[in-house]
Amino acid sequence: MTGNGKNGGTGPERSALLSVRGLRAKVGENEILKGLDLELRPGEVHAIMGPNGSGKSTLAGVLAGRETFAVTGGSVTFAGEDLLALAPELRAASGIFLGFQYPVEIPGVGNLYFLRTALNAIRRAKGEEELDAMDFLALAKEKMKLVDLAPAFGSRSVNEGFSGGEKKRNEVFQMAVLEPRLAILDEIDSGLDIDALRVVARGVNALRREDRSILLVTHYKRLLEYVSPDCVHVMAAGRIVRSGGPELADELEKTGYAWVQGMRPEMAAGAAPAARGAVGP
Amino acid sequence: MTQAEEGLIAAFVHDSREARWLADLRGGALARFAALRLPTARHEDWRFTSLAGLAPLPLARAPEGDLARARALLARGPAAEDGARLVFVNGRFCAELSAGGSLPQGIVLSSLAEALRRWPDEVRPHLGRLARPDALAFVAANAALFEDGAFLKLPAGAALDAPIALVFLSDGPAAAAAHPRTLLVAGEGARATVQEWFLGPEGAAYLTNAVTELVLADGAEVEHVRLQVEGDAAFHVSSVHAEQGAGSRLVAHAFTLGARLSRAETYARLGGEGARVAANGLYMADGQRLVDNFSWIEHAVPRCTTEETYKGILDGKSRGVFSGRIRVMPGAQKTVARQMNSNLLLSDDAIVDTKPQLEIFADDVKCGHGGTVGQLDETALFYLRSRGVPEADAKSLLVWAFASEMVGLVGPPSVRARAKNLVAARLPAGARLLEAA
Repeated sequence: MTGNGKNGGTGPERSALLSVRGLRAKVGENEILKGLDLELRPGEVHAIMGPNGSGKSTLAGVLAGRETFAVTGGSVTFAGEDLLALAPELRAASGIFLGFQYPVEIPGVGNLYFLRTALNAIRRAKGEEELDAMDFLALAKEKMKLVDLAPAFGSRSVNEGFSGGEKKRNEVFQMAVLEPRLAILDEIDSGLDIDALRVVARGVNALRREDRSILLVTHYKRLLEYVSPDCVHVMAAGRIVRSGGPELADELEKTGYAWVQGMRPEMAAGAAPAARGAVGP
Repeated sequence: MTQAEEGLIAAFVHDSREARWLADLRGGALARFAALRLPTARHEDWRFTSLAGLAPLPLARAPEGDLARARALLARGPAAEDGARLVFVNGRFCAELSAGGSLPQGIVLSSLAEALRRWPDEVRPHLGRLARPDALAFVAANAALFEDGAFLKLPAGAALDAPIALVFLSDGPAAAAAHPRTLLVAGEGARATVQEWFLGPEGAAYLTNAVTELVLADGAEVEHVRLQVEGDAAFHVSSVHAEQGAGSRLVAHAFTLGARLSRAETYARLGGEGARVAANGLYMADGQRLVDNFSWIEHAVPRCTTEETYKGILDGKSRGVFSGRIRVMPGAQKTVARQMNSNLLLSDDAIVDTKPQLEIFADDVKCGHGGTVGQLDETALFYLRSRGVPEADAKSLLVWAFASEMVGLVGPPSVRARAKNLVAARLPAGARLLEAA
């Protein structure tokens, strides 16, 4: 592991926060990611779209360190560090946050208690002072307002008995407290009605900052109407097959995913770099 | 005969000052023990629990305990300021470490030896009536060999708000055996909470063989909390024997956390209509330790209720055993009985044997049992870690989440807090979790 400092550049040439090169991963014997390339600079919001089974959620899981996926090739550099060498908790400490598609219910563990444990573990890892119960509560109350989460959700067990929308709001609330440098939001829009989607999107937008990147993994364009991305990638069969600006999402909305379904990796390999070249702030 | 059996029999001393009835009780029990001998795996109720480790120990009467060492051990037990506390060292009452507290009028709390001297007529009708020495070898050995223990009598309507603490300390050495004995007699509508603690030093292969009898008259309410935190090389066998009158309520908790081999038995006979029992247990073991929970609840009359919940957490090469028998006698209609045994295995080598036994001889009853054996939820573990919680802390948090239900069932806040501390102390990141709570 070569922690060679922070990427603090501010000009247009500033280096990537996240750099994924030729990433391959499998579940059991089944290869899901087949040489994926992706680059995010600080402050950018990227969307990854694609049909079911294209590997979107696997990518999210691999970046966060889920051990059910075995990385078999490629590299992931995050803020100059080899991300793949880090345990999930150390990735969190270095600034990665994964918003789960299906947030896990953990009966018996209080929502705020868990979050304070997490925040203080991250603060300890960064050599910062831990927050005491009072200070944490004040912080949590403020952040809960961001996603209209009633105070009662703080004392309930993590996600237990939460509605679909409440679970997703709880994810964004946790993100707000943990203040990641890269938030990977895996289908944060799934299962939400339009009102809940607005609340979640408002929360995400409030957390956009120059030094925070966001990777939105989504199946539908709907979310992108509320959180506008700098860049849209289309994923198919374990690779990014096309990249473009927000208008790419409109195109997908019209054409659907049928055109990428039959796309073979070698075709995709040709398509991706050309498209990437066209993208830029 | 094994050395353990020979040792126990040789430890018998006839005390000529004892009343005739008690001497007869002891003599009969000794003869019964010699006939029964210690249970082996051929005994159905001991199928999974081998006493092979105990058999070669030349068990002898425990010597006088050392006060300084006992005091040090006691620091891990209940605080004196919580209420009355009787402390026993190697089965003998220790006045120096005990505190009487202030008890409401009419309530008698004393050492059993003192009660036998001063109020023999209060003790005699009950001693050995519920914990009968004729069928159970360890109960027989206890009856023959007990030197002391606790006696608590609550007259009708008496209410004891502060929990009573009975602390049984073992002060080593290897092969020493102590046989503490407790008798609680709760009159009609009386209320009390009693905690029985079992504590001992690490590394010493001593034996604690405790017997507790709980007599609940009609409408009495008793909460009994057994906290077994013996040393890691100890052998612990304890049994609680309860009899419940009409409308009475017993909540019996067994936290069995220590010892190399632990057997915690709970017997309850629901003998009056509308009696309710909640039998709760939390057992934890790691390394090569074995923890066995055995319960037998008998519904003798209609409209009684059993709620039984046992949870186990097993790590390393440990072994857990749960057997729960609920017997509904003919005519015990409208019985409601529910039994649940859930186990969390933290390693591939840990084993649990769980044996629910519902024996129902009445036809208008609601009885059910269920059980689970599982591992930590990998998805939950990843969820916690992805938020920054280190793996050991995340595991501890999930184990605590599993265990906390049992701690939460303890009524008095002071006892609940101690149970929580004891459980957390056995989790890798327990101290930090408690701090953050």
